[in-house]
Amino acid sequence: MKHAGEKIVFTGSGIVCGAGTSVAEVWARLEKGETAVAPFTQFDRTNWPVKVAAEVLQDNRFLVSDRKLHKTISRTDMFGIYATESAIEDSGLPAYREGLGEAETDAFNDRTGLIVGSGGGNYRSNYDYLPLMTAAKAAPEGELPHFGRELGNQVTPLWLLKNLPNNVLCHVGIRGQHKGTNACITNQCSSGVLAVAEGASAIWNNEADRIAAVGHDSPFEPEMVYYYHQLGLMSGEAPRPFDAERNGTVFGEGSAAVVLEREADAKARGAKVLGEFLGFGCCSEATGILDLEPDGDGVKRAIEAALADAGITTDQVGLICAHGNGNQASDLTESMGIRNVFGDDIPPVTAFKWAYGHLIAASGVADLVMVLEVLKRGVIPGIATLGEVDPLIAPFPISREAATPRSDIALLICRGFGGMNVVLVVRGAS
Amino acid sequence: MAKIEKRRIAVTGIGMVTPVGNTAAETWAGLLAGKNGAAPTQSFDASGFSTTFSAEVKGFDAESAVPNRKLLKYASRSHRFALAAAAEALSDAGIAPTEADSHRWGLAVGAGMLSVGYEDLTVLHDHAAPDGEFNADGLIDPDFPGNVVNFCRWQANAGQALLTKQFGIRGYATSVHTACASGGQAIGTALKVMRRGQCDYMLAGGFDSMINPTGISGFCLLGALSTDNDNPTGASRPFDATRNGFVLGEGAGFLVLEDWDKATARGATIYAELAGDGNSLSCYRITDSPPDGNGPIQAIEQALGDAGITAAEIDYVNAHGTSTQMNDRSECAALKAVFAGRIDEVRVSSTKSSMGHLIAAAGAVEAAVCCLAIRDSLAPMNANYENPDPDCDVNLITGAPQPMRIRAALSNSLGFGGSNSSLVFRNPEEVQP
Repeated sequence: MKHAGEKIVFTGSGIVCGAGTSVAEVWARLEKGETAVAPFTQFDRTNWPVKVAAEVLQDNRFLVSDRKLHKTISRTDMFGIYATESAIEDSGLPAYREGLGEAETDAFNDRTGLIVGSGGGNYRSNYDYLPLMTAAKAAPEGELPHFGRELGNQVTPLWLLKNLPNNVLCHVGIRGQHKGTNACITNQCSSGVLAVAEGASAIWNNEADRIAAVGHDSPFEPEMVYYYHQLGLMSGEAPRPFDAERNGTVFGEGSAAVVLEREADAKARGAKVLGEFLGFGCCSEATGILDLEPDGDGVKRAIEAALADAGITTDQVGLICAHGNGNQASDLTESMGIRNVFGDDIPPVTAFKWAYGHLIAASGVADLVMVLEVLKRGVIPGIATLGEVDPLIAPFPISREAATPRSDIALLICRGFGGMNVVLVVRGAS
Repeated sequence: MAKIEKRRIAVTGIGMVTPVGNTAAETWAGLLAGKNGAAPTQSFDASGFSTTFSAEVKGFDAESAVPNRKLLKYASRSHRFALAAAAEALSDAGIAPTEADSHRWGLAVGAGMLSVGYEDLTVLHDHAAPDGEFNADGLIDPDFPGNVVNFCRWQANAGQALLTKQFGIRGYATSVHTACASGGQAIGTALKVMRRGQCDYMLAGGFDSMINPTGISGFCLLGALSTDNDNPTGASRPFDATRNGFVLGEGAGFLVLEDWDKATARGATIYAELAGDGNSLSCYRITDSPPDGNGPIQAIEQALGDAGITAAEIDYVNAHGTSTQMNDRSECAALKAVFAGRIDEVRVSSTKSSMGHLIAAAGAVEAAVCCLAIRDSLAPMNANYENPDPDCDVNLITGAPQPMRIRAALSNSLGFGGSNSSLVFRNPEEVQP
């Protein structure tokens, strides 16, 4: 085991999504089998072929109270700031820092890192240019000359700053003075889980003593819904992972975050421990932007790499949290990859997108936060939207009914555009 | 904590597409010859914008530079630069992923502009907002010519996906974006991935192209660009007292990173050791780096520590040096704090003075420049420097390239949002077997 002796634990978590603004709230919805997928409200759905999403309906000022800050951030940043700061608060680190002297505080801040998984660009922000484009098209001097000349009069000078993909990193950093190692990962769906994996690695590599890792996204935008629908990836109802009649995914929005530390440091400051990071695997299928390998080989390789990194064997895995986005090809190849590693001895499998939609860059971290809760409680909530498991996938240990993990170790799979597969292995709190 | 024996990583291939040359060799020759990439913007009518010039890549022919032309359909302008520069780097290194080792190959990229281009925005405008007010129903109108290929092109990891497919890279792959620090952080990420044994070979770099109406608008609105429209080639003058903003460039830079022992065993030409990475967050202001250098200082010190060397071994610094008032002052304060009494012995230049600012590609291209400077014992100059600024009194290389043996070089990248990246490259002759 390459990481022997240096245990990395989770000491805080935070989440905001359609199903709630705390781990407890989201857990309550999962346990009751309630999905947050509902008719959306952010634009007129009347004529749209897709009418549902898992929206965050919470007031903006509840999530980020600083009125001025809202002028320089976008919707996704608001989620990211909220979840990260919730996780940091949950870890008890701010109170611990308050007890330090000035020099110790500086050292503490320099050794506190932030790793963000960001959705990257968004469409919504470009709407700021639309009125100017209308005026420019009618301008005698020509479209672009008018656009350029009137830009400063028509569009906010803060436009670029509002839309930086690394805004959560910047603002959580400024607000909390977390000055250590940092990254902003823009790897589509894999962004958030990779942030967690890189966070743990940074501590193992002694680049930092503690890391807040977050994934955030607000994919629910008209263009995204339109194009996902065009690509046949979008369902009109809450996703049904691995179901015979699954017909696509549904967007959610939000963010989730965790705080990682050495177990020894967490113990020394008397922090509560939510679980342990054991290892991860990351690989590309080299298939381009959308295509998937037909045999799930990338999923298989990522699982094998993660198990090897964690130094465990398949029989020790008590639960698999699948990507399970509800798409035909993705779920089928994911199940093949799982079967090719676990054979006929697959532990209970679940997937959470039925409950809070697909959070894209944030999806894997949201799943991780809920997996830690599953392991803590020893209960895997049933998948409320599941009908019959796809005969091409069955037998597959997935259920409408609650189940029990067969050990305190979970394997979490996250897949993304670009043929990405990232797998985490974590242990629940004992 | 036990000292970790660090795996040694070699740079064995370089590729570049920049405003001063469409290959690494052309770029390097252009920099040494004092070529300047800035000129009135050609790719669109920029006459109405507050800045009418930029440092564009010129005469780039993707069809001949990119091996798999079928991928070009999905490739944006910056993706094309990336595909070409990465192909050059691999060809330079003389290796490529094979069926047997493709899973041991990784990719880490600083991905540029993550927003749709003006042409696509025009389509949206004409169908969903002809009167300026966005109406989502315009998208579901049967006449809306929405094209999924365009959609794919703007996905956050589209460039990464095209690169892994082009070269058959099946190991770790990722994209990062910390604005102007992206390229440096991508190379730093690759170093970490290789050291922890996840890959034996990595393609690491950055690509960007924001020279289009929407891309340039953001910077114009912010007032970050030089407005010396009557003197484009003199506009980027890092550390000069009269500096007044950066010059927007575009391009791509890639390095092939390889396990040192494997590279040596196959007799590869090693440009440099990628010896150290440092990474900090300034936590100051979104666009400004702190005047006292707090933030960049930690990144530089971490990079030196990571490389296992002291400030005394750095001979050349390729500065971030954007030619904005705040950045250059902050960076010099950091250099003075780190190098202290040795500050006059360390030679400094910002190649943005010649190439402009390649944003997410900047750190990668400048890393490549450091490797070439080490190889040739020749440091490129800081062009356009005339008026000393007492806040920037570091030992700049001015007028002409400086012949000098370089034991180790430092490359800094400081991004909007406060991310600071420093990389240390060591002369292979300095590496003890």
